[in-house]
Amino acid sequence: MTDSPSADARATFTSTIRLKLRQPARLRNLELLLVIFAIAIVLGAVALVQLGATGAIDASVLALVAGLGVLILGMHVTMRIVAPDADPLILPIITVLNGLGIAMIYRIDLADGASGWEAGGIRQIVWTAIAIVIAIGVLIVVRNHRVLQKYRFIAMFSGILLLLLPMLPLIGTEKNGARLWIEIGPFSFQPGELGKVALAIFFAGYLVTARDSLSMVGRKFLGMQLPRARDLGPILVVFAASMLVLVVQRDLGTALLYFGLFLVMLYVATGRSSWIILGLALFGTGAFVASRVLSYVGGRVDAWLDPFNPDNYEAIGGSYQLVQGLFGLANGGLIGTGLGRGRPDITPLAESDYIISALGEELGLVGLFAILGLYLLFVARGFRIGFAGQDDFGRLLGVGLAFVIALQVFVVIGGVTRVIPLTGLTTPFLAAGGSSLVANWIIAALLLRLSDSVRTQPLLVIESDGEPARLVVGQQ
Amino acid sequence: MSELTLLLLRIAFLAVLWAFVFAIVYALRSDLFGQKVRRMPAPAATPQAAAPAAAPRSAAPAPRPAATPQGPVFATRLVITSGAKEGLEIDLPDEQLTIGRSSDSGLVIRDDYTSTHHARLLKWPDGWVVQDLDSTNGTFLDGNRVIMPTVIPLNTPVRIGTTSFELRR
Repeated sequence: MTDSPSADARATFTSTIRLKLRQPARLRNLELLLVIFAIAIVLGAVALVQLGATGAIDASVLALVAGLGVLILGMHVTMRIVAPDADPLILPIITVLNGLGIAMIYRIDLADGASGWEAGGIRQIVWTAIAIVIAIGVLIVVRNHRVLQKYRFIAMFSGILLLLLPMLPLIGTEKNGARLWIEIGPFSFQPGELGKVALAIFFAGYLVTARDSLSMVGRKFLGMQLPRARDLGPILVVFAASMLVLVVQRDLGTALLYFGLFLVMLYVATGRSSWIILGLALFGTGAFVASRVLSYVGGRVDAWLDPFNPDNYEAIGGSYQLVQGLFGLANGGLIGTGLGRGRPDITPLAESDYIISALGEELGLVGLFAILGLYLLFVARGFRIGFAGQDDFGRLLGVGLAFVIALQVFVVIGGVTRVIPLTGLTTPFLAAGGSSLVANWIIAALLLRLSDSVRTQPLLVIESDGEPARLVVGQQ
Repeated sequence: MSELTLLLLRIAFLAVLWAFVFAIVYALRSDLFGQKVRRMPAPAATPQAAAPAAAPRSAAPAPRPAATPQGPVFATRLVITSGAKEGLEIDLPDEQLTIGRSSDSGLVIRDDYTSTHHARLLKWPDGWVVQDLDSTNGTFLDGNRVIMPTVIPLNTPVRIGTTSFELRR
């Protein structure tokens, strides 16, 4: 048989040749192209806001936004050096989302006549700059995401600490009935936003080590596998602590977010649907009890079910805001009133909780779907990174971080459009708020880092033009 | 600024926004729809069917892999035994190795017959396992199409597209 001589040839080949292939420039060039496109869209949006609202162009604000564009390009250059194989689509997507948010907040400033540091738009630009710098820092410092796994318990403690910070006297402050902020000098910050990143790291790190015992050991009950208490203990403690803090601080949106993150990561780690059933049952009873016992939750549910009822509409904390947002969306119609041409400012909190209804009014259904499409693409990239990862920690972390964004978008936009009861959460990248911007940019930076380590992975690349003839000859 | 100009600008902005969305979708089209995969031509398939029949004969000491069941022996190397990179070997990673045409696979095979995410190797307690990820042309372990995750014995050919490899210690 012809097999034996080729086997000898193989043996000499085998031991020596190792192949490493890199094609980084192509990815980064694609990113550069899309980032420039994205910055152009953002500048166009701000210019349109000015034209629509005042009829003239104000170069000073455009210059500030262009400065942000320079920072984004700086992040792009950083990635060329420290993460050359990172995903090329994430940065352009979040640039457009963040920029549209700035344009809309600036537009509401114009309507309110706010200027200088009082203006939410200017603050948002400054916070975006800070967030980008921090994201660049994360990319530079975290060179290998596996390092984070070592710090999982530090992540746990810092997550809980961040949640507890607003409870402290002196620096903790209460706004709109929720005690979520700390204030140091002129800055106010919502530390719980950063807590979600820390907890995602902790869940991922812990579940990697504990998932075997979580999914294999334990007794069966009603056809579902229940884990042992000592396997579940640390997670339950963390989870109960964060829930308690959140209920005491009256922030249901964040509680829902953490609960969802916890469930999904458990499910992804163990692959057992009993977790989802158990969690949804827990959540259902919890939500039902909360809506009966806690008056502010009950008010939200009433406002959701029957917003146009005059009793709900006129009640304090009733459905007034929700209805204004819905009227705004209706006013926008299919293609919107045009940037700067609507009246989004008459909805309370239009720059933060209701930014989606403000954007929906001025960009219409067509624009709103483009924004939702961008979120979809961002989350899909995150799940892809999780799917393609070669180590379990990276896979869990990628899925967890992407899911946080997805759930947050669903909870906020679902609340504003009356799919679910309204809960106070920020729309990722769009809404006014420094802490949420910083947290979401960190999430983006971590996903970029994960995608870079995924893509440097190909151990071997086999290119062939696939001529079957060659194969047939080789086999005979 | 006239109403008409503003209307045109408004529509143009929405168009540009969607152009951006489609630019991104175009950039990741291979992720969404997969790369174009051709079916294996019939003439190539017949020798393939014949080859597995011949392979066990040439690898007549086949009982060797069968004689290893006492405690799994984990392979540490993957050796390409036929195809464009015949003779190359790589070290197996710790947990899993994805195989496919997309550049984020662990083992990238770019020929016309490999799907974007074709198959993966997983390290299970009972050894390395090959799982076909619903590929167009299938994954063949020792000539048999892999339907469910199957343990790969040592020194047994796995064929994907025009490439075959074996796991060795």
